[in-house]
Amino acid sequence: MTTTKINRRSIVKGAAGAGAAAAIGSKASSVFSAPAVIQSGPLEVTYWTSFEGGANGDAQDELVKRFNESQSDIQINHEFQGSYEETAQALTAAVQGGSTPDMSLLSDVWWFKFYLSQLLQPLDDYIAAGNVDSADYVDSLWNEGVRQGAQYWVPFARSTPLFYYNADALNEAGLDASIFQNWDTIVENADALMVKDGDQTTQFAFGHPNAASYIAWLFQGVIWQFNGEYSDPDFTINIDEDAGIEAGNFYRDSVENGWAGATEDHVADFNTGLFASIMASTGSMGGIRENATFEWATAFLPEKYTFGCCTGGSGLSILASADDANKEAAFEFIKFSTSVESTSYWAQQSGYMPVRKSAIDSEEMQAFYDENPNARTAVDQLPQTEPQDSARVFIPNGDQIIGGGLEQVTVSGADAADAFAEVAGILEEEAQPILEQLEALEG
Amino acid sequence: MAETGRTGTAAIDESLVIARPRGGRNIFSKEWILFILFVGPNLFLFSLFSYWPMIENVRLSTQRWDLLSPVRLPVGLDNFEYLWQNSTFHKVLWNTLYFTVAAVGISLALGLLVALLLNQRLRWRNGARAVVFAPFMLSGAAIGIVWAYIFDPRFGFLAEMLGWFSIRSPDWLNRPEWAMPAIIIVYIWKNLGFTTVIFLAGLQGIPQDLYDAAKIDGANVFWRFRSVTLPMLSPIAFFLVVTSILSTFQSFDIISVMTDGGPVDSTNTLIYYVYEQGFVAFNAGRSAAAALVLFVLMMAITLVQLRYSESKVHYG
Repeated sequence: MTTTKINRRSIVKGAAGAGAAAAIGSKASSVFSAPAVIQSGPLEVTYWTSFEGGANGDAQDELVKRFNESQSDIQINHEFQGSYEETAQALTAAVQGGSTPDMSLLSDVWWFKFYLSQLLQPLDDYIAAGNVDSADYVDSLWNEGVRQGAQYWVPFARSTPLFYYNADALNEAGLDASIFQNWDTIVENADALMVKDGDQTTQFAFGHPNAASYIAWLFQGVIWQFNGEYSDPDFTINIDEDAGIEAGNFYRDSVENGWAGATEDHVADFNTGLFASIMASTGSMGGIRENATFEWATAFLPEKYTFGCCTGGSGLSILASADDANKEAAFEFIKFSTSVESTSYWAQQSGYMPVRKSAIDSEEMQAFYDENPNARTAVDQLPQTEPQDSARVFIPNGDQIIGGGLEQVTVSGADAADAFAEVAGILEEEAQPILEQLEALEG
Repeated sequence: MAETGRTGTAAIDESLVIARPRGGRNIFSKEWILFILFVGPNLFLFSLFSYWPMIENVRLSTQRWDLLSPVRLPVGLDNFEYLWQNSTFHKVLWNTLYFTVAAVGISLALGLLVALLLNQRLRWRNGARAVVFAPFMLSGAAIGIVWAYIFDPRFGFLAEMLGWFSIRSPDWLNRPEWAMPAIIIVYIWKNLGFTTVIFLAGLQGIPQDLYDAAKIDGANVFWRFRSVTLPMLSPIAFFLVVTSILSTFQSFDIISVMTDGGPVDSTNTLIYYVYEQGFVAFNAGRSAAAALVLFVLMMAITLVQLRYSESKVHYG
């Protein structure tokens, strides 16, 4: 493994120069001798991120620091913009104001919106020039960022929903983890996982989040488990079909029957022991590891009629509006951040999935998984995951529209037939402009 | 207050009449140049940052636009029709009314009560005044974060306090029926200092002779309050009603930090809806239409209050 210093001229010179990369594991490329634009100091590249503080924020800081220290030609200035939603809002405002960053982290539900408005840079030339081994990226994750054969979004902080449970609570109830394999056995044993103080429940068997905490993402797997779907790839909305309604009413009953709770921050409430089990992002694992005060463990998502689990999280995109030199430099950072070494480090710190196959198979990661079997569950589950339905990720605000319907079901006890019929109507209406834009862009 | 205003206006009018050059208006006259010099910069800034965005907002409310695409589709009154028919928007209007009436009503009543207390000759009076006013100076976002902890039904300070009386804390921020009361409590806590200080100023402006005269006439404490204090405070109360309603209408920070308008839209007020449609759902047109509804409502309230104040409010 060699670390090659970047020649500043190569950055300014042209696409081929991007090969002289800091990316670990890449071969040293030719060094240009021709003089180029003379710069004073490193080329500054602005990168907008949604990670700050906590396990994930610290790991993000460390990656940027490592990149900046690995060479002297590019300085990544990473700026925290808030949640995925706030980052997308800031980027939209920046587009209007004409002052976009060079590169941004964009979540699964947001990158497509910027793609539709042709604001993202196709990365294929950089990928080719940088000798990026795209076949080594986990296929499903890599392919999600492809439109019309071009790459717009490189997987970075990719996650899947995962089942977390309080092992101490399970032991106290005299149960074993096999009950989490199926929703039916969870329901059967839910009472044993409940703790009450008078008529107040101090421990629920299971916990739901609210719309703002991505209940629609977690429910994506559940609706598949019930043989339903939000929509088909052609934006035909199917959430209000029988299977979807059954899944929705299963959620409603979980709360109505008292064994599940619904709160604003279900991960925090898992950490404090209110919920004996939850579904949450693999990316929450670092935080749970830091904060849970009890023995906890992970499992595959439960099944109903079948298994279902989706991918999620965020990736990196370069703005089409950036200067050519900055685009190249930004791609160097993308290449570095998703290198085998970086993705391994990132995955270990945060709980997000390694995005490289060779990273998953590496001795380092295998040793990590031996020590952290909870993290291994996520990687073992990965091959069975699938990209999400178009209604959530491609319809603008689809996540919050579905999430609003799910809140009605879990918080207000609404019949899923009514709530989802309303959701389907809104989704169909909101899909129209997207279909028109897609037609114009992709034909 | 108003009388001073009237005399002021009259004086200006008079001076203008005297100063106006004979033989018609000359745009290069000294007064016009002075007028342009004084008013021009403000008018320019207002036009740039208030009037132009308002006109632009009206235009945007007749379009469909996602804030990103280069194309803005004209849709006529579709956005308003959508709002008119949309059940969420109806709920939002109801929430706004609920929030405004409760927050303004309670903070005015409490503010008056605290002001009456602090108007007494008590020890530590100045310290108490500072303490009451302090929350008003804090940022709503910071307050929201702290209060979210206070409201926690298991570990929160409020749950602890209710526990002393064997009352179980409601799950404030996760239940649709409790989330709005929680927001209202925080809003009142933050704004009580403002209403108190303004009422206090009003109380101190009431001449002592009126109370003395009332005493001679045999009025007890209640009647002195009813017949002297309240009428003399009416201009202050009017001022507070107007400013409080307008500020609750625009109260965004606490809601955004504490509930994001949820659960199930139970704390989604007009101003939050404008934000949500614009920057979460990226429906700039609908957001602009809702903003226009907000503007018209605020304008209507101001006009009604102005009309009402002319007949009912007593200016000392």
